[in-house]
Amino acid sequence: MKTQHAILCCITADSQCPVTQAEKALKGGAAMIQLRHKSASGSELYNWALDLKELCHAYNAICIINDRLDIALAADVDGVHLGQEDLPPSAARKLLDKNKILGVSVSSVTEAEKAVQSGADYVGLGHIYPTISKRKSGEPVGPGRITEIAKNLAVPVIAIGGITDKNVCEVIRAGASGVAVISTVADAPDPEKAASSLIQNMQSCLL
Amino acid sequence: MVSNCQGLSSPEKQFPELVSKITAHLPVIIQLREKHLTAKALYELALKTISHMLGNRSLLCINERFDVALAAGADGVHFPENSCPLDKALAASPGMVAGKSTHSLKQALSAEADGADYLIFGPVFETPMKKRYGPPMGLDKLNEVCRSVSVPVYAIGGIIPQNTLQCLVHGAYGVAAMSVFYTADNLGRTLDNFRTVLER
Repeated sequence: MKTQHAILCCITADSQCPVTQAEKALKGGAAMIQLRHKSASGSELYNWALDLKELCHAYNAICIINDRLDIALAADVDGVHLGQEDLPPSAARKLLDKNKILGVSVSSVTEAEKAVQSGADYVGLGHIYPTISKRKSGEPVGPGRITEIAKNLAVPVIAIGGITDKNVCEVIRAGASGVAVISTVADAPDPEKAASSLIQNMQSCLL
Repeated sequence: MVSNCQGLSSPEKQFPELVSKITAHLPVIIQLREKHLTAKALYELALKTISHMLGNRSLLCINERFDVALAAGADGVHFPENSCPLDKALAASPGMVAGKSTHSLKQALSAEADGADYLIFGPVFETPMKKRYGPPMGLDKLNEVCRSVSVPVYAIGGIIPQNTLQCLVHGAYGVAAMSVFYTADNLGRTLDNFRTVLER
Protein backbone atom coordinates (compact mmCIF):
# COMPACT_ATOMS: atom_id res chain seq x y z
CA MET A 1 0.00 0.00 0.00
CA LYS A 2 1.22 3.45 -0.88
CA THR A 3 0.13 6.79 0.53
CA GLN A 4 -0.48 9.92 -1.55
CA HIS A 5 1.92 12.14 0.28
CA ALA A 6 5.31 11.02 1.46
CA ILE A 7 5.43 10.99 5.25
CA LEU A 8 8.31 12.31 7.30
CA CYS A 9 8.47 10.85 10.78
CA CYS A 10 10.97 12.48 13.13
CA ILE A 11 12.12 10.40 16.07
CA THR A 12 13.42 12.31 19.05
CA ALA A 13 17.10 11.97 19.95
CA ASP A 14 18.04 11.40 23.60
CA SER A 15 20.53 14.26 23.54
CA GLN A 16 18.07 17.16 23.39
CA CYS A 17 14.65 18.14 24.74
CA PRO A 18 12.05 16.19 22.72
CA VAL A 19 9.62 19.10 22.65
CA THR A 20 12.18 21.56 21.23
CA GLN A 21 13.22 19.00 18.61
CA ALA A 22 9.61 18.27 17.66
CA GLU A 23 8.74 21.92 17.22
CA LYS A 24 11.56 22.42 14.71
CA ALA A 25 10.68 19.22 12.84
CA LEU A 26 6.99 20.16 12.69
CA LYS A 27 7.79 23.64 11.40
CA GLY A 28 9.74 21.90 8.67
CA GLY A 29 6.69 19.81 7.79
CA ALA A 30 7.08 16.51 9.65
CA ALA A 31 3.80 14.58 9.66
CA MET A 32 4.66 12.34 12.58
CA ILE A 33 6.69 12.70 15.76
CA GLN A 34 7.84 9.63 17.63
CA LEU A 35 8.87 10.16 21.24
CA ARG A 36 11.75 7.84 21.91
CA HIS A 37 13.81 8.11 25.06
CA LYS A 38 15.26 5.03 26.66
CA SER A 39 16.41 6.42 30.01
CA ALA A 40 13.68 8.91 30.97
CA SER A 41 11.36 8.20 33.91
CA GLY A 42 7.67 7.48 33.40
CA SER A 43 6.85 10.89 34.81
CA GLU A 44 9.14 12.70 32.34
CA LEU A 45 7.81 10.67 29.40
CA TYR A 46 4.22 11.38 30.39
CA ASN A 47 4.80 15.12 30.58
CA TRP A 48 6.66 15.19 27.25
CA ALA A 49 3.89 13.12 25.68
CA LEU A 50 1.25 15.65 26.72
CA ASP A 51 3.29 18.55 25.34
CA LEU A 52 4.09 16.71 22.12
CA LYS A 53 0.48 15.71 21.56
CA GLU A 54 -0.67 19.31 21.83
CA LEU A 55 2.14 20.51 19.58
CA CYS A 56 1.62 17.82 16.95
CA HIS A 57 -2.11 18.43 16.80
CA ALA A 58 -1.52 22.16 16.33
CA TYR A 59 0.49 21.21 13.24
CA ASN A 60 -1.99 18.55 12.12
CA ALA A 61 0.64 15.90 12.76
CA ILE A 62 0.57 12.56 14.58
CA CYS A 63 2.19 11.93 17.95
CA ILE A 64 3.30 8.41 18.81
CA ILE A 65 5.48 6.89 21.51
CA ASN A 66 8.21 4.31 21.13
CA ASP A 67 7.88 1.13 23.23
CA ARG A 68 5.92 2.63 26.16
CA LEU A 69 2.32 1.70 25.44
CA ASP A 70 1.54 2.53 29.08
CA ILE A 71 2.53 6.15 28.52
CA ALA A 72 0.73 6.26 25.17
CA LEU A 73 -2.48 5.07 26.86
CA ALA A 74 -2.19 7.35 29.90
CA ALA A 75 -1.39 10.43 27.81
CA ASP A 76 -3.89 9.41 25.11
CA VAL A 77 -1.54 10.15 22.22
CA ASP A 78 -2.19 8.92 18.69
CA GLY A 79 -0.38 5.62 18.90
CA VAL A 80 2.64 3.54 19.76
CA HIS A 81 5.64 2.22 17.86
CA LEU A 82 6.97 -1.20 18.86
CA GLY A 83 10.32 -2.77 18.13
CA GLN A 84 10.90 -6.52 17.98
CA GLU A 85 12.02 -6.49 21.65
CA ASP A 86 8.96 -4.60 22.87
CA LEU A 87 5.51 -5.89 23.84
CA PRO A 88 4.20 -8.30 21.17
CA PRO A 89 2.14 -6.25 18.66
CA SER A 90 -0.87 -8.58 18.90
CA ALA A 91 -0.98 -8.04 22.68
CA ALA A 92 -0.56 -4.30 22.24
CA ARG A 93 -3.32 -4.13 19.63
CA LYS A 94 -5.81 -5.53 22.14
CA LEU A 95 -5.05 -2.67 24.53
CA LEU A 96 -5.05 0.03 21.89
CA ASP A 97 -8.27 1.58 20.52
CA LYS A 98 -9.07 0.79 16.90
CA ASN A 99 -8.61 4.42 15.94
CA LYS A 100 -5.11 4.56 17.42
CA ILE A 101 -2.01 3.84 15.38
CA LEU A 102 0.21 0.81 15.87
CA GLY A 103 3.59 0.87 14.15
CA VAL A 104 5.99 -2.08 14.22
CA SER A 105 9.71 -2.24 13.36
CA VAL A 106 10.54 -4.98 10.87
CA SER A 107 13.52 -6.01 8.81
CA SER A 108 12.16 -8.86 6.70
CA VAL A 109 9.12 -9.93 4.68
CA THR A 110 8.18 -12.47 7.36
CA GLU A 111 8.31 -9.89 10.13
CA ALA A 112 6.32 -7.42 8.03
CA GLU A 113 3.56 -9.94 7.30
CA LYS A 114 3.43 -10.98 10.92
CA ALA A 115 3.17 -7.34 12.00
CA VAL A 116 0.21 -6.74 9.69
CA GLN A 117 -1.52 -9.90 10.95
CA SER A 118 -1.03 -8.59 14.48
CA GLY A 119 -2.81 -5.37 13.59
CA ALA A 120 -0.02 -2.98 12.62
CA ASP A 121 -1.13 0.18 10.79
CA TYR A 122 2.32 0.71 9.29
CA VAL A 123 5.69 -0.97 9.42
CA GLY A 124 9.00 0.75 9.99
CA LEU A 125 11.49 -1.08 7.79
CA GLY A 126 15.18 -0.89 8.52
CA HIS A 127 17.83 -0.28 8.71
CA ILE A 128 18.06 0.56 5.02
CA TYR A 129 21.54 2.12 5.08
CA PRO A 130 24.34 2.02 7.63
CA THR A 131 23.46 4.25 10.59
CA ILE A 132 25.02 5.50 13.79
CA SER A 133 21.79 6.66 15.47
CA LYS A 134 20.76 3.34 16.89
CA ARG A 135 23.14 0.54 17.67
CA LYS A 136 21.99 -1.98 15.14
CA SER A 137 22.91 -5.57 14.72
CA GLY A 138 23.18 -7.05 11.28
CA GLU A 139 23.78 -5.62 7.86
CA PRO A 140 21.66 -2.86 6.30
CA VAL A 141 18.75 -4.38 4.37
CA GLY A 142 19.13 -1.99 1.41
CA PRO A 143 16.39 -0.32 -0.67
CA GLY A 144 15.65 -3.59 -2.53
CA ARG A 145 13.97 -4.92 0.63
CA ILE A 146 11.50 -2.01 0.52
CA THR A 147 10.26 -3.10 -2.91
CA GLU A 148 10.10 -6.72 -1.83
CA ILE A 149 7.94 -5.85 1.18
CA ALA A 150 5.87 -2.92 -0.13
CA LYS A 151 4.53 -4.65 -3.24
CA ASN A 152 2.32 -7.08 -1.30
CA LEU A 153 1.80 -5.37 2.03
CA ALA A 154 -1.59 -3.97 3.05
CA VAL A 155 -0.09 -1.14 5.09
CA PRO A 156 2.43 1.64 4.36
CA VAL A 157 6.15 0.98 4.67
CA ILE A 158 8.16 3.71 6.40
CA ALA A 159 11.88 3.34 5.71
CA ILE A 160 14.39 4.00 8.47
CA GLY A 161 18.13 3.93 8.95
CA GLY A 162 20.75 6.21 7.43
CA ILE A 163 18.29 8.19 5.34
CA THR A 164 19.48 11.60 4.09
CA ASP A 165 18.76 14.01 1.25
CA LYS A 166 21.15 12.00 -0.91
CA ASN A 167 19.30 8.68 -0.74
CA VAL A 168 15.70 9.60 0.16
CA CYS A 169 14.60 9.57 -3.47
CA GLU A 170 15.89 6.05 -3.96
CA VAL A 171 13.90 4.94 -0.92
CA ILE A 172 10.65 6.49 -2.14
CA ARG A 173 11.13 5.11 -5.65
CA ALA A 174 11.66 1.68 -4.12
CA GLY A 175 8.11 1.90 -2.71
CA ALA A 176 8.34 3.45 0.74
CA SER A 177 5.43 5.66 1.80
CA GLY A 178 7.76 7.78 3.83
CA VAL A 179 10.86 7.86 5.96
CA ALA A 180 11.73 8.02 9.63
CA VAL A 181 14.88 9.81 10.77
CA ILE A 182 16.62 10.67 13.99
CA SER A 183 19.97 12.36 13.45
CA THR A 184 19.35 13.63 9.91
CA VAL A 185 16.96 16.16 11.42
CA ALA A 186 17.87 16.27 15.12
CA ASP A 187 21.60 16.78 14.58
CA ALA A 188 21.33 19.07 11.54
CA PRO A 189 22.61 22.66 11.97
CA ASP A 190 19.06 23.76 11.06
CA PRO A 191 16.61 20.93 11.87
CA GLU A 192 13.61 22.78 10.43
CA LYS A 193 15.39 23.20 7.11
CA ALA A 194 16.60 19.59 7.19
CA ALA A 195 13.03 18.36 7.64
CA SER A 196 11.60 20.51 4.85
CA SER A 197 14.43 19.53 2.54
CA LEU A 198 13.71 15.81 3.05
CA ILE A 199 10.02 16.39 2.34
CA GLN A 200 10.75 18.36 -0.83
CA ASN A 201 13.06 15.67 -2.05
CA MET A 202 10.49 12.96 -1.37
CA GLN A 203 7.69 14.88 -3.09
CA SER A 204 9.79 15.65 -6.13
CA CYS A 205 10.53 12.00 -6.80
CA LEU A 206 6.87 11.03 -6.33
CA LEU A 207 5.99 13.23 -9.32
CA MET B 1 8.32 -10.12 47.43
CA VAL B 2 10.20 -7.73 45.18
CA SER B 3 11.95 -9.55 42.35
CA ASN B 4 15.65 -9.20 41.63
CA CYS B 5 16.53 -11.56 38.80
CA GLN B 6 19.92 -9.92 38.38
CA GLY B 7 20.78 -11.19 41.84
CA LEU B 8 20.35 -14.79 40.71
CA SER B 9 23.01 -16.79 38.89
CA SER B 10 20.50 -18.53 36.60
CA PRO B 11 17.26 -16.51 36.89
CA GLU B 12 15.52 -18.46 34.10
CA LYS B 13 15.41 -21.52 36.32
CA GLN B 14 15.75 -20.10 39.83
CA PHE B 15 13.13 -17.35 39.71
CA PRO B 16 10.14 -19.56 38.82
CA GLU B 17 11.26 -22.00 41.54
CA LEU B 18 11.43 -19.16 44.05
CA VAL B 19 7.94 -18.01 43.04
CA SER B 20 6.50 -21.50 43.53
CA LYS B 21 8.25 -21.95 46.85
CA ILE B 22 7.15 -18.60 48.30
CA THR B 23 3.55 -18.71 47.06
CA ALA B 24 3.19 -22.26 48.41
CA HIS B 25 4.21 -21.03 51.86
CA LEU B 26 2.18 -17.85 52.28
CA PRO B 27 0.06 -15.33 50.38
CA VAL B 28 2.30 -12.69 48.80
CA ILE B 29 2.32 -9.86 46.33
CA ILE B 30 5.06 -10.62 43.84
CA GLN B 31 6.37 -7.37 42.46
CA LEU B 32 8.24 -7.83 39.19
CA ARG B 33 10.82 -5.09 39.20
CA GLU B 34 13.30 -5.81 36.42
CA LYS B 35 14.36 -2.52 34.92
CA HIS B 36 17.04 -4.07 32.74
CA LEU B 37 14.53 -6.18 30.80
CA THR B 38 12.95 -5.23 27.50
CA ALA B 39 9.14 -5.06 27.49
CA LYS B 40 9.05 -8.33 25.57
CA ALA B 41 11.23 -10.12 28.13
CA LEU B 42 9.23 -8.62 31.00
CA TYR B 43 5.99 -9.79 29.39
CA GLU B 44 7.40 -13.31 29.00
CA LEU B 45 8.68 -13.32 32.58
CA ALA B 46 5.23 -12.22 33.79
CA LEU B 47 3.56 -15.10 31.95
CA LYS B 48 6.10 -17.54 33.37
CA THR B 49 5.65 -16.15 36.88
CA ILE B 50 1.86 -16.50 36.70
CA SER B 51 2.24 -20.12 35.63
CA HIS B 52 4.48 -20.83 38.64
CA MET B 53 2.34 -19.15 41.31
CA LEU B 54 0.77 -21.71 43.61
CA GLY B 55 -2.50 -21.38 45.51
CA ASN B 56 -4.90 -18.57 44.77
CA ARG B 57 -4.08 -16.12 47.51
CA SER B 58 -1.09 -14.39 45.90
CA LEU B 59 -1.02 -11.50 43.46
CA LEU B 60 1.37 -10.54 40.69
CA CYS B 61 2.10 -6.83 40.25
CA ILE B 62 4.33 -5.51 37.47
CA ASN B 63 6.50 -2.53 38.21
CA GLU B 64 5.26 0.57 36.40
CA ARG B 65 4.38 -1.03 33.05
CA PHE B 66 0.61 -1.38 33.28
CA ASP B 67 0.57 -2.20 29.57
CA VAL B 68 2.65 -5.30 30.28
CA ALA B 69 0.45 -6.11 33.30
CA LEU B 70 -2.74 -5.88 31.24
CA ALA B 71 -1.27 -7.85 28.34
CA ALA B 72 0.05 -10.65 30.55
CA GLY B 73 -3.06 -10.86 32.73
CA ALA B 74 -1.26 -9.86 35.93
CA ASP B 75 -3.26 -8.71 38.94
CA GLY B 76 -1.84 -5.26 39.26
CA VAL B 77 0.81 -2.64 38.84
CA HIS B 78 3.31 -1.20 41.26
CA PHE B 79 4.24 2.40 40.59
CA PRO B 80 7.68 3.68 41.55
CA GLU B 81 8.18 7.19 42.85
CA ASN B 82 8.83 8.90 39.49
CA SER B 83 6.22 7.00 37.49
CA CYS B 84 3.59 8.30 35.14
CA PRO B 85 0.94 10.07 37.31
CA LEU B 86 -1.00 7.42 39.23
CA ASP B 87 -4.48 8.80 38.55
CA LYS B 88 -3.81 8.96 34.77
CA ALA B 89 -2.34 5.46 34.72
CA LEU B 90 -5.29 4.06 36.68
CA ALA B 91 -7.80 5.71 34.37
CA ALA B 92 -6.11 3.83 31.51
CA SER B 93 -5.85 0.47 33.31
CA PRO B 94 -9.24 -0.38 34.77
CA GLY B 95 -9.44 -3.33 37.14
CA MET B 96 -5.77 -3.34 38.05
CA VAL B 97 -4.68 -3.44 41.69
CA ALA B 98 -2.42 -0.41 42.12
CA GLY B 99 0.47 -0.09 44.53
CA LYS B 100 2.68 2.92 45.01
CA SER B 101 6.12 3.35 46.55
CA THR B 102 6.27 6.22 49.01
CA HIS B 103 9.06 7.74 51.05
CA SER B 104 7.21 10.43 53.02
CA LEU B 105 3.83 11.15 54.61
CA LYS B 106 3.10 13.70 51.90
CA GLN B 107 3.68 11.14 49.12
CA ALA B 108 1.58 8.58 50.96
CA LEU B 109 -1.37 10.95 51.27
CA SER B 110 -1.19 11.97 47.65
CA ALA B 111 -0.89 8.34 46.47
CA GLU B 112 -4.01 7.44 48.46
CA ALA B 113 -5.87 10.43 47.03
CA ASP B 114 -4.83 9.36 43.49
CA GLY B 115 -6.36 5.93 44.01
CA ALA B 116 -3.60 3.62 45.21
CA ASP B 117 -4.94 0.35 46.63
CA TYR B 118 -1.86 -0.21 48.77
CA LEU B 119 1.33 1.62 49.65
CA ILE B 120 4.87 0.54 50.21
CA PHE B 121 6.62 2.79 52.71
CA GLY B 122 10.29 2.89 53.55
CA PRO B 123 13.10 2.41 53.99
CA VAL B 124 12.11 1.61 57.55
CA PHE B 125 15.38 -0.07 58.54
CA GLU B 126 18.94 0.06 57.22
CA THR B 127 19.32 -1.68 53.86
CA PRO B 128 22.02 -1.71 51.19
CA MET B 129 19.41 -1.98 48.41
CA LYS B 130 17.70 1.29 49.21
CA LYS B 131 20.65 3.51 50.12
CA ARG B 132 19.64 5.97 47.44
CA TYR B 133 16.54 6.87 49.42
CA GLY B 134 18.66 8.14 52.26
CA PRO B 135 18.80 7.10 55.91
CA PRO B 136 16.13 4.75 57.28
CA MET B 137 12.98 6.49 58.43
CA GLY B 138 12.29 4.26 61.38
CA LEU B 139 9.18 2.84 62.99
CA ASP B 140 7.72 6.14 64.20
CA LYS B 141 7.47 7.52 60.66
CA LEU B 142 5.96 4.22 59.57
CA ASN B 143 3.38 4.56 62.33
CA GLU B 144 2.58 8.14 61.33
CA VAL B 145 1.93 7.07 57.73
CA CYS B 146 -0.15 4.04 58.74
CA ARG B 147 -2.32 6.19 61.03
CA SER B 148 -2.84 8.80 58.29
CA VAL B 149 -4.04 6.61 55.44
CA SER B 150 -6.78 4.01 55.22
CA VAL B 151 -5.19 1.76 52.57
CA PRO B 152 -2.83 -1.09 53.56
CA VAL B 153 0.78 -0.06 54.07
CA TYR B 154 3.65 -2.49 53.55
CA ALA B 155 6.90 -1.65 55.31
CA ILE B 156 10.06 -2.01 53.22
CA GLY B 157 13.78 -1.67 53.85
CA GLY B 158 15.83 -4.10 55.89
CA ILE B 159 12.86 -6.36 56.60
CA ILE B 160 13.58 -9.74 58.19
CA PRO B 161 11.26 -12.09 60.12
CA GLN B 162 12.73 -10.78 63.39
CA ASN B 163 11.62 -7.15 62.85
CA THR B 164 8.33 -7.87 61.09
CA LEU B 165 6.28 -7.85 64.30
CA GLN B 166 7.56 -4.36 65.15
CA CYS B 167 6.31 -3.16 61.75
CA LEU B 168 2.89 -4.69 62.35
CA VAL B 169 2.71 -3.21 65.85
CA HIS B 170 3.45 0.19 64.28
CA GLY B 171 0.47 -0.11 61.95
CA ALA B 172 1.85 -1.89 58.87
CA TYR B 173 -0.52 -4.27 57.12
CA GLY B 174 2.41 -6.33 55.89
CA VAL B 175 6.05 -6.20 54.91
CA ALA B 176 7.92 -6.07 51.59
CA ALA B 177 11.37 -7.46 51.02
CA MET B 178 13.80 -8.42 48.34
CA SER B 179 17.21 -9.35 49.79
CA VAL B 180 15.94 -11.72 52.45
CA PHE B 181 14.40 -14.05 49.87
CA TYR B 182 17.58 -14.19 47.85
CA THR B 183 20.13 -14.50 50.61
CA ALA B 184 18.33 -16.85 52.99
CA ASP B 185 20.36 -19.97 53.74
CA ASN B 186 17.15 -21.80 54.45
CA LEU B 187 14.31 -20.18 52.53
CA GLY B 188 11.71 -22.58 53.91
CA ARG B 189 12.57 -21.63 57.48
CA THR B 190 12.64 -17.91 56.64
CA LEU B 191 9.18 -18.19 55.08
CA ASP B 192 7.88 -20.15 58.08
CA ASN B 193 9.23 -17.44 60.36
CA PHE B 194 7.48 -14.74 58.33
CA ARG B 195 4.25 -16.70 58.36
CA THR B 196 4.34 -17.21 62.10
CA VAL B 197 4.51 -13.45 62.63
CA LEU B 198 2.16 -12.39 59.83
CA GLU B 199 -0.59 -14.85 60.72
CA ARG B 200 -0.57 -13.95 64.34
